[in-house]
Amino acid sequence: MTTVPLETAAAATTKLPSPSPRRRRRRSGDRPLILLLLGPSALLITAFIVAPAVYSVYLSFTNTQLTGFAARDPKFVGVDNYVYLLTNSDFLGSLGQTGVFVFFSAIVGQTVLGMVAAVLLSRPWLRGKGLFGAAVLMPMVVPEVVASLTWASVLTSGPEGTLNRLTGVFGAAPADWLQVVPLASIIVINIWRGVAFAMIMFQAALEDVPAELIEAARMDGARAWQVFRHVTLPLIRGPVFLYLLLTTISTVGVFGLVYFLTQGGPGGQTRLAAIYIYERALQFSQIGIGSAASIILLIIVLVLGVVYVRLAKVEV
Amino acid sequence: MTAVVTRPPVGVDPERGPSARPAKIRHRPLSTLDKVQRGLGYTLIALLALFCIVPFAWVVLSSLDAAAGPNVQVPTFSLENFVTFATNSGTPRLLLNSLVIGVAATGVNLALGFAGGYALARFRFRGRRVFMFGILLIRVIPAPATIVALYLIMVKIQLSDTLIGLIIVEAVLQLPVTLWLLAGTISAVPLDLEEAAWMDGNTRLQAIRRIVLPLVGPGLGAAAMLTFTNVWGDFLTPLVLLQSQELYPLSIGLFRAFSEHNQVDWGLLAASAVVYVAPPAVLYVLVRKNLLRSSLGGAVKG
Repeated sequence: MTTVPLETAAAATTKLPSPSPRRRRRRSGDRPLILLLLGPSALLITAFIVAPAVYSVYLSFTNTQLTGFAARDPKFVGVDNYVYLLTNSDFLGSLGQTGVFVFFSAIVGQTVLGMVAAVLLSRPWLRGKGLFGAAVLMPMVVPEVVASLTWASVLTSGPEGTLNRLTGVFGAAPADWLQVVPLASIIVINIWRGVAFAMIMFQAALEDVPAELIEAARMDGARAWQVFRHVTLPLIRGPVFLYLLLTTISTVGVFGLVYFLTQGGPGGQTRLAAIYIYERALQFSQIGIGSAASIILLIIVLVLGVVYVRLAKVEV
Repeated sequence: MTAVVTRPPVGVDPERGPSARPAKIRHRPLSTLDKVQRGLGYTLIALLALFCIVPFAWVVLSSLDAAAGPNVQVPTFSLENFVTFATNSGTPRLLLNSLVIGVAATGVNLALGFAGGYALARFRFRGRRVFMFGILLIRVIPAPATIVALYLIMVKIQLSDTLIGLIIVEAVLQLPVTLWLLAGTISAVPLDLEEAAWMDGNTRLQAIRRIVLPLVGPGLGAAAMLTFTNVWGDFLTPLVLLQSQELYPLSIGLFRAFSEHNQVDWGLLAASAVVYVAPPAVLYVLVRKNLLRSSLGGAVKG
């Protein structure tokens, strides 16, 4: 990655006022103080975030095991782990599930519903904004374990389960949702959890759209949808892509929400890449293969990140 | 059309007086299309709100129900589940562990983040930009991708399966965000204020404590809330790093209790969930405005 897209992402992520000329001056006498202030953070980030990432790369080229013979004497195996994974239908299936999960829950579901919520809550005629907003925020505020627990009850298999009661009204037979449509279930759950974040991001972006532009379009006879499509949406393109970047990254990393409910099952139908890595490395103790899977996942996320930043840059 | 209706200057043109045309626009009743749009809007937002809160019904109702099951039912109101939570052998321990981990990690995180953030905000040194962008890039790494290597490192330095190890890891995992947040907040404090304090005979550190620290309260509050909430809710890191049952935080305790398929005490589980939700929910309400303004708002508006 070059520094240019990174700078864009950085500028978009946090407001840092441009430094005053006084701060620009380098004074060698400040060095001990800088080291004292920033040194511990830099050291700890290196030890607990950077080192594991680098170590993962190393491990992915070895046959390291958690237990057994190879645990004592790990060997360098070149790209064997990568070859194994990229020809392994379980792993490829797991990548595919992750793709479906990210696409439908984050990119489609959360984005559309979050945008609907943000636009509706920005309407001057809508009453009860506080109440609606608070309701949408609730799934995001609770810890992921609690989020899973609430849905465990909603999706319970018996006729008494919340969703089965609802579908029962329409005459459908009760179903064991996490067995019948596991992937769709966790997609819905993740949409539920992420709508609030999308809504907050889009609300903030919508606030920055000049009201005069909207009004001018309205005066020219544009309908609400046309105004949104041709005036609002192009103006908030940057924040939308930033949101897509953030939500894609965090959705690829979703683990607890799904693991709590399905532990990858039934029959590996919800074995997202994150769960595949966990299973391989810590349950089957195949650290090398788990690490190689991590690196493949990381590369995919990085590529997606670059694509988003490029797309967003056009209008930023 | 609403925009036209609510425009104040229309119709008060002094030369023509409140002429008929603008007045007509102002008082024109909503067109059918507007009504349909509004009705649709209300329906959509109400459905969305229901979708968001209905799943919580079971947790809330069951926590108050002495005879709770896995399904939503009308509770026979009692606080028995919460009493059980407080007197049970295992559950108070879970809450205590969660509190220790959350509070300690937040404290460590804020101390490191404030010191580092000050350095990043006030000094231009070689590698500063690289460092800032580097820790931003860290956000791209999904947590499950490095957890295995992190576990092996923790085993090697003998900090796996200890609270202190988990506290350090949690504090550091949230550090990049805190550093960015506080670097931004601190650079918004005018350097002149600090320089004035130096003139008055304060040392650099005294000036930081007396001038900068009180002024970055909202930023610190937002950083504290973000860190505490994330640490409190974290499931993966304690799941991997802790093996001893007596060290489990609430997140792992709830998972273990839920996974015991044979004998789940649903009422106790729901009560634990309510207890588990309370601290971040309270914090969220307390710091909500600051959080939205100083981090998420800034995040979008660049």
